Amino acid sequence: MKRLLAAFVFLSVTTAFAAPISQTQKQELAKTSLKVGDTAPDFTLLSDQWKNVKLSDFKGKKNVFLAIYVLAFTGG
Amino acid sequence: MDSPAANAAFAKQIDIKFPLLSDMNKKMLKEYGILKGYDVQNETYQWAQRANIVIDKNGIVQHIEEGDSAVDPNTAMSVCTDLHKKGAK
Repeated sequence: MKRLLAAFVFLSVTTAFAAPISQTQKQELAKTSLKVGDTAPDFTLLSDQWKNVKLSDFKGKKNVFLAIYVLAFTGG
Repeated sequence: MDSPAANAAFAKQIDIKFPLLSDMNKKMLKEYGILKGYDVQNETYQWAQRANIVIDKNGIVQHIEEGDSAVDPNTAMSVCTDLHKKGAK
């Protein structure tokens, strides 16, 4: 059986509205303070199965691909 | 925010086999420094940028893409493939 390459974690980050771009003043592009080589901060988030998923659950087991999506699945 | 219920509906719709997570209180996003405020009509709203982050089995960040470059997952996938090959016995 083919092993899973990595644990894919799909984090949807959406808001309930979409502001018209012309009325949006972007303060600055979000920029993570993380750098390659840093230890990733652990987190616990609710999955679509209403179960807690912790980053540390994958430690020693799988590589994690964390994809953070904004305004992914809502109509907003 | 997409709730776990909304994510569950989406996962079922396109038959996703990996977890879809919801950061309803934006705690993780703040810790990762991805969440930023935007001023709209005298109010400040917060949402995140697109990002792909690859974390190896030891919990070490191996790859970061943000913004427009994170729309294409292929680079991050390549990093995952390389990590997998290195870890293969």
